[in-house]
Amino acid sequence: MVVSAPNSGRSMPVRRLIQRLAGNLFSLMITLLGLLAFTFTLSHLSPVDPVLQLVGDHATASTYAQVRHQLGLDHSLPVQFWHYLQQLGQGNLGVSQSTGQPVANDLLRTFPATFELATCALILGASCGIGLALISIWHPKSWIDHIARVISLLGYSVPVFWIGLLGLLLFYAGLHWSAGPGQLDDLYVYTLEPKTGLVLIDSWLSGDREMFINALQHLWLPVAILGLLSMASITRLLRAALLEENSKEYVTLARAKGASRWRIVWHHLLPNTRGTLITVVMLSYVSLLEGAVLTESVFAWPGLGRYLTNALFASDIPAILGATLVIGSCFIIINALTDALVWLTDPRTR
Amino acid sequence: MKKTLISLLFTASLTALSAHSATPPNTLVVAQSLDDAISFDPAQGFETSTVQAFTNLYQRLLQSDPAHPVDLRPTLATHWQAGSDNRSLTFTLRDGATFASGNPIRPEDVIFSLSRVIKLNLEPSFVLTQLGWNAKNIDSQLTKTSANQVTLHWDAAVSPAFVLSLLSAPVASIVDEKEALSHQVNNDFGHQWLSSHSAGSGPYQIRRYVPHEVLLMTANPRSPAGAPKLSTLLIKNVPEAATRRLLIEQGDADIARNLGSDQFSALQHKPGVTPVSVPIASLYYLLFNTQSSATLKNPAFWEASRYLFDYDGIANGLLKGQFSIHQSFLPSGYLGALNDTPYTYNPEKAKAILAKAGLTNISFKVVVNNQPPYLDIAQALQASFAKGGVKIELIPSLSSEVTAKMASHQFDATVTSWGPDYFDPNTNAAAFATNPEDGSSTLAYRAGWHIPELTAETHKAVALTDNAQRAALYEKLQRQVQKSSPYVIGLQAHQLIALRSNIKGYQQGMNPDMVYYSQVTK
Repeated sequence: MVVSAPNSGRSMPVRRLIQRLAGNLFSLMITLLGLLAFTFTLSHLSPVDPVLQLVGDHATASTYAQVRHQLGLDHSLPVQFWHYLQQLGQGNLGVSQSTGQPVANDLLRTFPATFELATCALILGASCGIGLALISIWHPKSWIDHIARVISLLGYSVPVFWIGLLGLLLFYAGLHWSAGPGQLDDLYVYTLEPKTGLVLIDSWLSGDREMFINALQHLWLPVAILGLLSMASITRLLRAALLEENSKEYVTLARAKGASRWRIVWHHLLPNTRGTLITVVMLSYVSLLEGAVLTESVFAWPGLGRYLTNALFASDIPAILGATLVIGSCFIIINALTDALVWLTDPRTR
Repeated sequence: MKKTLISLLFTASLTALSAHSATPPNTLVVAQSLDDAISFDPAQGFETSTVQAFTNLYQRLLQSDPAHPVDLRPTLATHWQAGSDNRSLTFTLRDGATFASGNPIRPEDVIFSLSRVIKLNLEPSFVLTQLGWNAKNIDSQLTKTSANQVTLHWDAAVSPAFVLSLLSAPVASIVDEKEALSHQVNNDFGHQWLSSHSAGSGPYQIRRYVPHEVLLMTANPRSPAGAPKLSTLLIKNVPEAATRRLLIEQGDADIARNLGSDQFSALQHKPGVTPVSVPIASLYYLLFNTQSSATLKNPAFWEASRYLFDYDGIANGLLKGQFSIHQSFLPSGYLGALNDTPYTYNPEKAKAILAKAGLTNISFKVVVNNQPPYLDIAQALQASFAKGGVKIELIPSLSSEVTAKMASHQFDATVTSWGPDYFDPNTNAAAFATNPEDGSSTLAYRAGWHIPELTAETHKAVALTDNAQRAALYEKLQRQVQKSSPYVIGLQAHQLIALRSNIKGYQQGMNPDMVYYSQVTK
């Protein structure tokens, strides 16, 4: 009995983790279903007529009726939704009315572009955001703290569309430090064999060093602009959490005992604010993955945000639902991952 | 030392990343929005981007002369002959002409191309169904009369001259039957495949199409029109006009299309860039729904509105360069176009007309596309109508929403545009001056305007064979609509484009499809 006790102690967290994951999976399915039902209803409440979008102004009444029937719009809303779910169950997301391509193909093409942009922007934004927050609490109310606050405020308040155009004007048109809009120069873009859909990785795998550098030249400016937005939210929230933790008595005691600034940060402040840190970084990632529509438009970046916007303008219901499904899944998965990370790293939450 | 090292590293990384601008030497790079493109099948494509591509991918039996669009010149047909009853045309095909695939162009291809448009019954099919063609009778209306001749018959009361105009429209592009049918799925006449591929005889062929991203075309050396001067045509989707301006300035695009008037002005004196304002056939107008209220149905209100439209303020001030003043339903450049501009902005005169008619406290809602230039024009009209004592409430909406509201008559008024569907005066006359009351969605129908006499006269015009007589009748119809109708036509658009100064041989006409890339050099 005594021997078996430690084993059962180790298996408990694993079992609880599995139970937790199963619970999360179930709630993910329910949430996605709700999200789809909500989006589906909203799409049909829109005054835009998808049939008219397809057949145009000149169509006769019989053509209109024929296309309406082909799209299944002559059924009641619940029946239409059920048909959609049946198709979805078979892995069929339908055909986009605005591109004429299967929605799944469109999503496989556009999501990697957004994923690459968002991930790079998050890495940049999180590194700079955490760095700025730490500098702020090392020197609170100093000039460097003020600069950090101004930068984060700017990132919050300046419209991304404007800053994107300004960035292009300065770094592309003025200084020539950045390549133009798009993912690659015209010289390379059609010689690249898409393997992963991520331009940086595909150009690296191609073995063409110049193509890889060209991809970097195109990527860094939109990444920097989205990174600034991400950095702004991370800096503001993390700085506030660190300042609060820094004012607690155990930190004063550590300082009184002669602990170095680094030791206080690494061993006391960061471990005790990791919950906030993980949550803020993950939320920032989710908002980037949702598709930075305006940045993608300014930089002619063929991502998910622009795909969804075009679908909304065209009342392209299969595309709207497909993109919503991907964005909703990202949101839910990252939220679940955040919960799991906080739960695993912070014993207080168990 | 440490600082020097850091600055050296910084400079080195910037040098490595510094970007150089130039388009590939044998490639024409065009920056424009491709977001409107739905299908590159001529039986379906009806958007600006797709019809522009058709001119470069396909050929028709006859096409407008790029230099003089009113003149139709033989293209895949060498000549044609009208039947004695004026209800048929026999075309003789060009000897030795082939498609990009190498297949010869045969009468069967002409029959296949026209009949699939009717059988697929997609958006642009109405252009050809005006001839009385439908899925049931089309096979009997198109006949192969010899190894290189095809005869088209029709039942509608229209002249052969009008039929020739219709056959010069993009929807009448001749498709390679063998190639299209080799990709057929579920008896779709190759429709799905042709949405993103081409099977024509134009100077270019589609090499790759990625929706909302790029259309890449390569030269078709077999084209009966001759191989294009540049081997590759790359049309890339750049949704933002401001970004298109930067691309052309930097030399990363050879042509930038659809610039706004602010971008156009900014490019006026830029070295290496030639801004060009091309008059196009789009008309911008205010349309009233006469079913919405008694005021909007009152001809005195229509007349007063003609004096409340600030034509000059919009065309020569607010949107300078983007519009010219035009007040009749046929755009300047069309057969029979009336270029008179009898109305000027005069709020006092409008007030007097309204007072005489006993119309007071007028207010109505204008549903308008939320994109420039529609919203800019609507805001200018809101201000100019206010000076005449008429209150306008603007309802900015998606373009698709405006269309849906117009189709269901759920609107008071709208500011919108009309572009011709084919190069013949009937394309606009049928829209503005007919309401057949049979469910046909003409603009008169949208406005709830009942005009049996005008409708009959417009139908009469399309049956006339003599061009001078047709022009005279259209002029008369335009004067009638200009004087009293629920439309205030005010502006004819110009497309603002910019070319790099080394680009030569680019031609563009006034209809959306009249964009010619094959003779471009750089």
